[in-house]
Amino acid sequence: MVSSKTLFVTCGATVPFPQLVESLITLEFINCLILNGFNNLIVQFGKGYNDQFTKLLKNLGNVSFDQKLNSLDLNDIQCFANFKDNNSNKTLNIYGFDFLSDIQSVIKQNADLVISHAGTGSILDSLRLNKPLIVCVNTNLMDNHQQQIADKFASMNYVFSTKPTVDSLMNSLNASQSHTLDEFPSAHNTPFENFLIDVSLR
Amino acid sequence: MAVAYIASLFLVVVAFFIVRLVTILPIFRTYEKQSHVRQTQALLNKYKNFGGQLHVFVFLGSGGHTGELLIILKNYKNILLSSGNTIHVGYSDVDSYNKFKELAKSYDCKVKYYRFVKAREVGASKLTSIKSILMTLIKSFGYVFEIRQAMKNTPHLVLFNGPGTCCILALWFKLLELIFPFSSSSNIVYIESLARINSLSLTGKVLYWIADEFIVQWEELKEKLGDRVKYFGILV
Repeated sequence: MVSSKTLFVTCGATVPFPQLVESLITLEFINCLILNGFNNLIVQFGKGYNDQFTKLLKNLGNVSFDQKLNSLDLNDIQCFANFKDNNSNKTLNIYGFDFLSDIQSVIKQNADLVISHAGTGSILDSLRLNKPLIVCVNTNLMDNHQQQIADKFASMNYVFSTKPTVDSLMNSLNASQSHTLDEFPSAHNTPFENFLIDVSLR
Repeated sequence: MAVAYIASLFLVVVAFFIVRLVTILPIFRTYEKQSHVRQTQALLNKYKNFGGQLHVFVFLGSGGHTGELLIILKNYKNILLSSGNTIHVGYSDVDSYNKFKELAKSYDCKVKYYRFVKAREVGASKLTSIKSILMTLIKSFGYVFEIRQAMKNTPHLVLFNGPGTCCILALWFKLLELIFPFSSSSNIVYIESLARINSLSLTGKVLYWIADEFIVQWEELKEKLGDRVKYFGILV
């Protein structure tokens, strides 16, 4: 089998994030992915977005929905498409999920790069698995703490921070291929463990 | 004469409960500067005597809140998930329930589940919020009572990370602590979400006054809030 390079994208389960998916499933971004040697794109797009996702794929042109081309061993795929770039003759497999109950193992087994919404749960899923991560902030949310956490982690060189626009995503994708992030330190902490014991005995 | 007796008795009772309130609410406590220099071994020995009798109540809020608490449970599995412990799991969405179930497979703990109605949906209107908050109030009281009964006379911890439902639960814990004057402390540990760097979440702002221990994960917040809060670095 040819070597595979996979981008995993998660939009989170709680709030939909259409701007991110709409910017990803564009000819520009897809071509950028192919240029950087990717041949798989897995997107967890959130509940109720399936039809919209299929529509975006159809709009790309040059896609076939032939399940036989599906080369990854993934369960519960909602949507599968194979995109072919006419210039280079290279292809990209696109897999869509509304929701994944065990997102960690999918990331662990498949992802070479992760793009995640700025929810702490999703950020930690990738960091704890030591996968390079691009964090995309949803600017439509109630408050700006997602922006803060993305900026903070980016300033510590644990992640790349980006916005849900095609240009910003392409810049981060290129950056992720040339710049190395620092490893996120383990969270086990003996003083906190002792503190928990101390409190439990009160 | 009888009136005077009743009145003075009443005053004594009132005074008693005021004193009780002052002793159980953290806002009236003074907090020492955080010192980590505790006798680790002595503490561990003391803990071992209770071996596997720890009762832990976690409320899995959803999404990121659930994620953070599950990581904490895993990171401190030696203490929190040691065999024979009882874990009381409060949840309001099926996803959190499934995730915990998956995690629990690897450990030999007794698990009890409590399904809660969500106190406030992200982006819900005020009226819907009020209605669901009332529902949560009523249902959760029974659960908290049950959990406190189970935690009697045994080491116990209540771990919260958000969201809003935790405020209601903490309130019930503290109310029961007030009503039953000789009962043990609730041992509520609130861990503010990693997402909060410069300011507290709404839940954090409320629990700042109620939780027995208040943990933040960023130094910026610790500096802002002072000795009331503790900081151990990133925990998740």
